[in-house]
Amino acid sequence: MIQITGLTKTYGTGNKSVHALRGVDLQINAGMFGLLGPNGAGKTTFMRILAGIVNPSGGSIRVDGHDLTTEAGKRAVKSMLGYLPQELGMYAELTAEQFVDYMAILKGLDDSAKRNKRVSEVLDMVGLRDAAKRKIKGFSGGMKRRVGIAQALVNNPRILIVDEPTAGLDPEERIRFRNLLVNLAAERVVLLSTHIVEDIGQTCRDLTVLARGQIIFRGSPLEMLKATEGHVWTYTTASLEKPNHDLTVVSMLHLAEGTQYRLVGASADGYPTAQPTQPGLEDAYVWLMKQAN
Amino acid sequence: MKRFSLKYTLLTYRFDQLWFPLAFWAFFVILTLLLRDQVEDFDIARAYIGVAIPLVGGFMAAHAILDDPAIELRFATPIRAAQILFERTSLILLIQAVCALAFILFALLTGVDFTPLGDAFHLQLAWLVPTVAMIALATFGAILGAQTMTGAFLVGLVWIIQVIIRDGMAVNNWKYAYLFMGILNPEHPDLASNQIALFAASAIFLFFAWRLLNRQERYI
Repeated sequence: MIQITGLTKTYGTGNKSVHALRGVDLQINAGMFGLLGPNGAGKTTFMRILAGIVNPSGGSIRVDGHDLTTEAGKRAVKSMLGYLPQELGMYAELTAEQFVDYMAILKGLDDSAKRNKRVSEVLDMVGLRDAAKRKIKGFSGGMKRRVGIAQALVNNPRILIVDEPTAGLDPEERIRFRNLLVNLAAERVVLLSTHIVEDIGQTCRDLTVLARGQIIFRGSPLEMLKATEGHVWTYTTASLEKPNHDLTVVSMLHLAEGTQYRLVGASADGYPTAQPTQPGLEDAYVWLMKQAN
Repeated sequence: MKRFSLKYTLLTYRFDQLWFPLAFWAFFVILTLLLRDQVEDFDIARAYIGVAIPLVGGFMAAHAILDDPAIELRFATPIRAAQILFERTSLILLIQAVCALAFILFALLTGVDFTPLGDAFHLQLAWLVPTVAMIALATFGAILGAQTMTGAFLVGLVWIIQVIIRDGMAVNNWKYAYLFMGILNPEHPDLASNQIALFAASAIFLFFAWRLLNRQERYI
């Protein structure tokens, strides 16, 4: 569905240039696809390129056969796209229903009867039926995100791009949002970009990890865990000194017998009492980042 | 597919900006009523329609496109840059046109004689040409600088310079770029050339604004 080859993006020129993406090769098929990486890894640039907003500096992207580096290709892709940006700006004076209706018009849904039906459907889908007639300015962060996903879905997109959708949501909202995305992925490509490891682990069978504009991992969450086996330990000590030896402390827990550390690294030889343990996805992510650095 | 809705174009317009042109309109109406015996009504009327309206139009146009909270969502839809440009600038022009025509009507009712500006067609050109030019300049400036302030600054600078050196502008080669010729020098022999040149310059500014607006990543 989406074929990306040698994708690069550079902002600025000369000494001040910033390489946001450095030769990304990726194939993305239908279903839920996760894009994980730290802040500044190039995720948002990648998503904006796929949304046709940012022009790549090099490489090729074909979405359902359309070349995204041409104006005609961009327009064709935008017609089949739903996009929820990281920084979601909306017209606060409009009601949720009006905002989604307006976005539907901009996306080309001209038939008002069909459009009204679709607007009601998507507002229902995101649980905003009762708030449809309320102005957006009175909405909570979670409700605004739901309006955002409703507008992204209103044209029944074949590709849904969501950039950091759960940022700022409370745990209940996050779970609800994740489940909604998984449901949507049954019949379309859903690209989820986040730096919250848990969101990816709970929703995606296929993911890629981006760091400094390059792909450092591509596979399933299970494969990511397997690649981390033998690199995670728990270590309990009464000493006040934090473990070092090139190990990253993922978590700490104060117990009666001392402090228990969860450590990720190449070797825990410096701590003979450290116990090997099963890695979690967060450990796997830390291990990948450690290798990339 | 039309991908356009007048209803939402109006609803998403920042109506707080309407106070700005309305305040100017009201100010000049009050000025006309207060200074009836001291200043020629005609001078107040032409200062408003031919000098103030272009400035207000320019300032508003500087904010028209980039001052949009949902600009990234808008860019992710298949609407063309030309449509965004047209929708937003034509609304500003419409507001200025309503202000100008309402003031002309008010002035006529209070007995102002506009015949020094020529016939009805030339009277309309006297405010329309500089207003379109300022709107185009502000739009181009804002898009070129990727911020609304650049457009507003450019408009303010050009306006104040031309107001200060207006007499000099009318007699040298800058006369083709002189915004206020139609309103302040209606008898000038090069008025038609001036108005054609200003319209052409407006078209060029809008053309480059459109070209630049296609590079959406500059504005998010």
